Parts: sequence; C-alpha cells; structure tokens
Amino acid sequence: MTESPDTEGRQIAIEARDRVRFEEEALELADQVYRVARRLVRTQEEAEDLVQETYARAFRSWRSYTPGTNLRAWLLRILTNLNIDRGRRAQRTPDMEPIEEGDYYLYNRLEETTRENPDEERVIERLSQDDIVSALSEVPHDFRDVIVLVDIGDFSYQEAAQILDIPIGTVMSRLHRGRRILKQQLAETAVGEG
Amino acid sequence: MAGTFDPCVWCEEVLQPYLDRELSETERAEAQAHLDACGYCSKRYRFEASLRQFVRMAAIEEMSPDLKQKLSELRTPLL
Repeated sequence: MTESPDTEGRQIAIEARDRVRFEEEALELADQVYRVARRLVRTQEEAEDLVQETYARAFRSWRSYTPGTNLRAWLLRILTNLNIDRGRRAQRTPDMEPIEEGDYYLYNRLEETTRENPDEERVIERLSQDDIVSALSEVPHDFRDVIVLVDIGDFSYQEAAQILDIPIGTVMSRLHRGRRILKQQLAETAVGEG
Repeated sequence: MAGTFDPCVWCEEVLQPYLDRELSETERAEAQAHLDACGYCSKRYRFEASLRQFVRMAAIEEMSPDLKQKLSELRTPLL
C-alpha cells in the first residue's frame, strides 16, 4: 500500500516543524557554546570558525539528536570532536610539566608579596582578567578542556565525561590537577617565578 | 614527623572535593570542624571560592553579533 499524497504531505510538514524547532533551540544556546569554544582555542577567529563548523554539522545531522536530551551537551560533543580532529587545540608550551604544588600555593604566593595584612578580597584583586586568560591558555589541553567545560560551561562531571568520551574518574582527576596547574600558572604570571 | 596527622595538610588536600561537594558526610563534617577553628585554612578556602568565581567572570567572552548572524544564515531555508 502506498501512502496517500496527503499523508506524505503531513510527514513533510511534521519534519519541517521539528527541524525548525531544533534549529531554534540550537541557536538559543549559541552564546553558551561560544563561551566554551572561545577558551578551548587560542584566538577569537578559531573560536568563530569552530562554532560555525559545529552549527553547520549540527544542522546537517539534526536527526541524530534525540529530542528531550541535553542539546547543549550534544552540541559541545560535536564541537570538541571537531576541535580534536582539526588539531586546533592550543598546544601546550614545550616545557610545561610543572611540579605539582598544593591547592594553597597561589594564595601563599600572593600573600607573601602583599604588604599589608591581606584578606582574601585584597589578594584576589591582584589578579587581572588578562592574567586569568593567559594562565588558562597555558594549562595543557587535556586539563584545560575539562576546566573549561565544568568551571566555565557549567557542565556536570557526568556531562563532561560524555562530551569528551572519557571516564568520570578521569574528569575528576584532570579537573583537580588542572585547577592546581592553573593556580601555579597564575602565581607565575602575577608574582613571578618563586 | 612521619605519621603525624596535620589537619591543615589534610584540609588542603580536600579543598577541591569540599567545594565540589564530593566529600562524604563524615569527611565534610571533619573538614567543617577544622575550618571553623582554623583561620589559616578558612581564609584559603574563601580565597578558592572567590577565585573560581573570578576565573569564570574573567574567562567569559561574548560572541560577536556578526557570528550570531552567520549562524542564523546556516539554517535550512524554508521552502
């Protein structure tokens, strides 16, 4: 039995509606997708290319998205895969295998070099936005990807694990170690080498 | 001294899981009890919490209106 032209027409209409809905929802998330992309790569231009490629691919393969699941994570998964495939991830600096300092290291370094009796607020004021951005870009990419997804993208460990296709334990250990490396970088940027 | 338990060293080790709410109830209570009594550690915990906020704020860069426009243009044209 062949479908009547009416049924076929209805199918096309439903598909068109679903597609429009998908595209609208995806575009509403673009700001958040861009924020993550911007910190995964070095330059604004690379981030813009990456986000465009991600959306082009997402719009092509929208049928493989399951409605009702986390669309933001689905988009970020496309984005991180594209980023890894194209080898665009900002490369770590060659001599970057820092001796791992503890979690108090940055505070201690800043406190040492703050004259008056420091409180947390005053200590943090010594860091500039540029300090943060450059310190983050110096964190080796495996660690940085996780920091960016969890601390900037607000993804849960579970979501980050799915996006990067790594076990949740690896997310946690990279996150913890990555934040320490970040603080060490900040200490070097803000205070200079110990 | 080997084998001596130093609560400040332990607190430094659990700083991240504490702030991520990953500690067990017992561990959390132990850390809290130490933090309530120790200015050295509680200062550093507050610093870490502010730092995370600060990193977040500093690292966020908004996309250009141009890009937003380009993304809309990628949409499938309606017939």
